[in-house]
Amino acid sequence: MNRIPGTQKKIVVGLIIMIFSIATATLIGYFFESIKIPETNIVIVYILAVLITARFSQGYLMGVLSSIIATLTYNYFFTAPYFSLSVYDPNYLITFVIMTITAIITGTLTSKTLQSEKEAKEKEVESNTLYHLTNYLTDAVDIKEIASVATSAISGFLACNVACLCFDFHGNPEETYIQQEDGSQQIIKATENIEEIRKRIENLHAIVDINEEFYDFPIYGRENILGLIRVPTSHAKKLTDYQVKLVHTMTENVALAMDRFYGIQEHLRLKEEASQERYRSNLLRAISHDLRTPLATIMGNSELLVSLSKKKDVIHDISNDINKEADWLYGLVENILSLTKLQDSKFQLKHEYEVVEEVLSVAIQNINRRYPKMEINVAMPNEAVLIPMDAKLIAQVLTNLLDNAAKHNKSHKPIDITIKKLETTSEIEFTIRDYGNGINEDDLPHLFTMFFIGSKQRVDAQHGIGIGLAICDEIIRAHHGTIQARNCTAGKGAEFIFTLPMKEKES
Amino acid sequence: MTVKTRILIVEDDNKISNFISFALQQEGFITLAAKNGQTALSLLVSEQIDIMLLDLGLPDFDGMEVLRKIREWSEIPVIIVSARDQDKEKAMALDAGADDYLTKPFSVTELLARVRVALRHFYRQNNQKIQNTIKVKNLEINFEKRLVYLADKEIHLTPLEYSLLSLFFKNVGKVLTTSYIIKEVWGVGYGEDTQALRALMAGLRRKIEQNPAKPIYLLTEIGVGYRLIDE
Repeated sequence: MNRIPGTQKKIVVGLIIMIFSIATATLIGYFFESIKIPETNIVIVYILAVLITARFSQGYLMGVLSSIIATLTYNYFFTAPYFSLSVYDPNYLITFVIMTITAIITGTLTSKTLQSEKEAKEKEVESNTLYHLTNYLTDAVDIKEIASVATSAISGFLACNVACLCFDFHGNPEETYIQQEDGSQQIIKATENIEEIRKRIENLHAIVDINEEFYDFPIYGRENILGLIRVPTSHAKKLTDYQVKLVHTMTENVALAMDRFYGIQEHLRLKEEASQERYRSNLLRAISHDLRTPLATIMGNSELLVSLSKKKDVIHDISNDINKEADWLYGLVENILSLTKLQDSKFQLKHEYEVVEEVLSVAIQNINRRYPKMEINVAMPNEAVLIPMDAKLIAQVLTNLLDNAAKHNKSHKPIDITIKKLETTSEIEFTIRDYGNGINEDDLPHLFTMFFIGSKQRVDAQHGIGIGLAICDEIIRAHHGTIQARNCTAGKGAEFIFTLPMKEKES
Repeated sequence: MTVKTRILIVEDDNKISNFISFALQQEGFITLAAKNGQTALSLLVSEQIDIMLLDLGLPDFDGMEVLRKIREWSEIPVIIVSARDQDKEKAMALDAGADDYLTKPFSVTELLARVRVALRHFYRQNNQKIQNTIKVKNLEINFEKRLVYLADKEIHLTPLEYSLLSLFFKNVGKVLTTSYIIKEVWGVGYGEDTQALRALMAGLRRKIEQNPAKPIYLLTEIGVGYRLIDE
């Protein structure tokens, strides 16, 4: 950093003070001599002169210099032979030495005191500045206010007009910045060369970036750059190391305030999102739950009607249709409830080891209830397979997949279920294969998306709002497994394949 | 049965109560209805009731409380009715003395089956007649000889497997909770060692079922336990 241009001036001032004090000491010396005051007092007057010189000039160089000159002056004027630098009485040499040493020590001490005083004053300024800055920063309600506070504080400290340019969340400089003007005014100015600034600052890791117009002090946030403090170059050039350090400290305080603000914002956003999610989930759950009771009545009564009527009776078919539709509705309700259970943040996936064939048997029972004539073939390893899972949810997955297969299957065709152990990946693979028309190639990538029904509307398509497969996807993923669908290579039909880990994964 | 069986239906929803009543009446039962726990308990005391259907989600009393109160002085069969995702509640109720459960919505067939099984079990228990052999479809157990036959061919079971199967046979058609089975087969103090039970069930299943994934004898009731079915 450049020295403050007053240094040279200070040296001149110091010399003047020195000459003046030593001259005065000499005159006082002569006065003392004339009134017959002992010589020793003259020595002390010179030491006093050194003290004054050291006190009122900067740097201890002056102190040392003045001690030597004081000694020489005393020698010149007050020791025989007078007006010469030689000495007759060798005892004076001791006097000179002690005088010099005393003067030097005095000078040094004084200088040190001055230095300490100066440092203490600086520390006080530093503390005050930081104190006020931090105070205002904690009261600031948004980024603009933080920037404004920073600008005025740093401007006040450096006694020049500083600017503050904020960066947005993505690390791009904003289009306007705050500029301090004379008389505690602040104005908003348009940022020039936004792209250039961004490039320049992007990979900077230093405290300051020196440019033609501004010295830019980056405000480093926890994860990215939050802004720049711009000090006009004309003033910045003259800053001392100490001032730079303090500006840097202030900038870090500003960074803390900005980070805290963004942190709070993010936190509130997440809370809001979570609360909305919870509300939606609760709504779904309440509705689904409330649907169960009337469904039970409809299903029960329609079943009674079926059993009370003869097969040839038209009531028999009507009641059967009512029953089937109610059953479909119930399947939907179960799916929605599974979904809300998964989405519930309080829900903990059960990790108990369950027997695969048991869970599968429940799903098969469910399907046989709806499609009594459906033939289901199962191929699985001889020994029982136990894997960690939430049995209810996996049963739901299997039920949904089997239901899907049954819907697409041609009459009299079976559904083939294959369960395999994949030793290499430590997974169990479930394959459900139907003998239908296969899946439309266009639909394949979207099958597991929520509400996806499919491009081709088949003639007797069983309606669906497309959540069955999406729920399978969510459940499998929650178990750290994979799920996919594809058309069979050998013969017609589609295959749905999902895997589940054999051991609990450390998440 | 010359005397008609009397069923108490404890259900606060009118319409469900009606359809259950109607279905049971069709089968020759006499039905009584209570809308809440209080009425249920008073009816139990004042009327002759042979079997009870208890909804767990009653407005005044917690269904469990009613069950506990009843079990303090009555052994009549109780079938609890609950909504789907309350497995823990079902298991708890069964362990607290309920005989079986139904999940809403249920089919009439299921309802009738459960009622029949519960009554049969109740009468058998009170009959004190010891049956030497019990046969379910092609599976037969001989308690005296401690042998089990599948399609008249003897099958070899380990002692634990035999214990397990005989427990099921003594409760044909009834659901048995996991904790109950563990207590009966291994003894008190084995707590929640469901793994051992699962492994034992898997072994037993392979010996008596043609296809373990499509069992005709031993059904799994997820979250609750197992059941040996006879129909």
